[in-house]
Amino acid sequence: MTHTLQINQLTKHFGRIKAVQNLDLTISAGQVFGLLGPNGSGKTTTLGMILDVVAPTSGSYAWFEGMPAVDARKRVGSILETPCFYPYLTAVQNLRVAAHIKQCPVHRIEEVLKQVNLYERRNDKFKTYSLGMKQRLSIAAALLSDPPVLILDEPTNGLDPEGIAEVRELIKHISSSGKTIILASHLLDEVQKVCTDFCVLKGGKKLYEGPVQAILGETNVVEVAAPDMETLEANLKALPWVTHVVRENGAMHVDITDGKSAADINRLCFDKGIVLHRLLTRTNSLEQEFLKILKEND
Amino acid sequence: MYLLALLVIVSLGVFFLEYLKTLGADFNGIDPTILPIYDFPDIWQNTTYLGSFLKLFLAFIVIISVNNDVTYNTMRQNIIDGISKWEFLLSKMLLILFLALLSTLFLFLGGLVNGSIYSHVMGIGYIFDELEFLAAYFFDIVVYCSLAFLLVLIVRKSGFVIIALALYTLMFEPIATTILTYSDWTRDTVWPEIVKYFPIKSLNDMIPVPFPKYIFREIDDNVPVQAVLVSVGWFALYLSAIFFILKRRDLR
Repeated sequence: MTHTLQINQLTKHFGRIKAVQNLDLTISAGQVFGLLGPNGSGKTTTLGMILDVVAPTSGSYAWFEGMPAVDARKRVGSILETPCFYPYLTAVQNLRVAAHIKQCPVHRIEEVLKQVNLYERRNDKFKTYSLGMKQRLSIAAALLSDPPVLILDEPTNGLDPEGIAEVRELIKHISSSGKTIILASHLLDEVQKVCTDFCVLKGGKKLYEGPVQAILGETNVVEVAAPDMETLEANLKALPWVTHVVRENGAMHVDITDGKSAADINRLCFDKGIVLHRLLTRTNSLEQEFLKILKEND
Repeated sequence: MYLLALLVIVSLGVFFLEYLKTLGADFNGIDPTILPIYDFPDIWQNTTYLGSFLKLFLAFIVIISVNNDVTYNTMRQNIIDGISKWEFLLSKMLLILFLALLSTLFLFLGGLVNGSIYSHVMGIGYIFDELEFLAAYFFDIVVYCSLAFLLVLIVRKSGFVIIALALYTLMFEPIATTILTYSDWTRDTVWPEIVKYFPIKSLNDMIPVPFPKYIFREIDDNVPVQAVLVSVGWFALYLSAIFFILKRRDLR
């Protein structure tokens, strides 16, 4: 497997502030990599450094196993925070500038504008666009050269719910064609849905790195609810393999030992003649895991 | 607009002299209209000297162009998209070279036309003599616009840079150099030597003031080598400073 991007001990200080500290990261071809972290954790600074707009204090990075950085950037489609275009030019003109820089054919301009639903407004000046439309245009610019690698920093910023859903579909579609995506986002739900791997940054340090699948899965917590909660609680507390019962929002969260499952609770209730109207095994979400990682490293 | 102003400068000399005549001015009994300001090859020094005052407007174009790219963050976007910082510098230098070339060509054509109408002497040898003033004029614009490029990179406020550059070029440095060269306290010190190294003074010195020749007949009608060398030094300094800033600055 070839490495799309290798980051080696990358460090950036802004005066006293240590924005990124000794970051090591390897991203392989075909990965959809989620870059997570609270505000000010160094995500955008890291992306800025690998795109040569922020000068690293120390450390290095290599694109495509050592391709010159300028050539590599032509093969990377990027959205970095706010969309930046010439306000006095139209969408088509702005994309023509981008196509010229990327050295890619201009006939794709129409195609990408249709893809992001900007085709009707293509001859309007950039300054007349709303925030969401500007964001759509920067997505169009990133897709323009049909690059093997996409860097998306908060791509759904400023988009309406429909736009967010479209971007999610777009990411899924692009990643299914075998492209590499680096996605920085606060919307953990999004990351969970589309990413294969993720890492967590905080205060410029990497706290965690691993595949998304590894942390998802079933937990030992079962959520149950019945019309007669008292009888249910008494029965559950009597069981030896139930370690903890707590009531929350009209349901009961039951901690069970390893090897037991929701089926065992269901069988018990069936035997005792209790009718359940909710029975649910809790699964881990990226959000819980993310908060847990941050808490552990406080 | 700029070309129009150049045209005015190249062509209006004859009207200016008529104007002087109507005012009753005369130089030791000589009618001002017979002053050979359009004679080849003196015309090159005269027009480039006057035309070089207009380089300020070219500098404004450069300032606005660079400032646009900085404030709209399109410089950052273009670098992300895949140009190197060196290519950015190169693209702006190309703009500067284009402006300088355009002005020089225009001045050359204007000089040819006016010279062929008014010149008292003709002949290839005269026409193409002293063309080094056009080269000096070209270089003057390039270096001056590079200074403007550097300033707007440092300050990042185009309005402020435009006003500061205009004031410095037209007022502060000329006044300072004049005082340092001619005042009683500094005249005999090392200062008159030092002012030759000032950034604007060295540029202006490349084309010496031509007009005293019509009174004293004795003036420098060559491009002074020292001024050129100093200007080359400044040019190298500006370029390396621009490149250093582009290299080191974080674009956020």
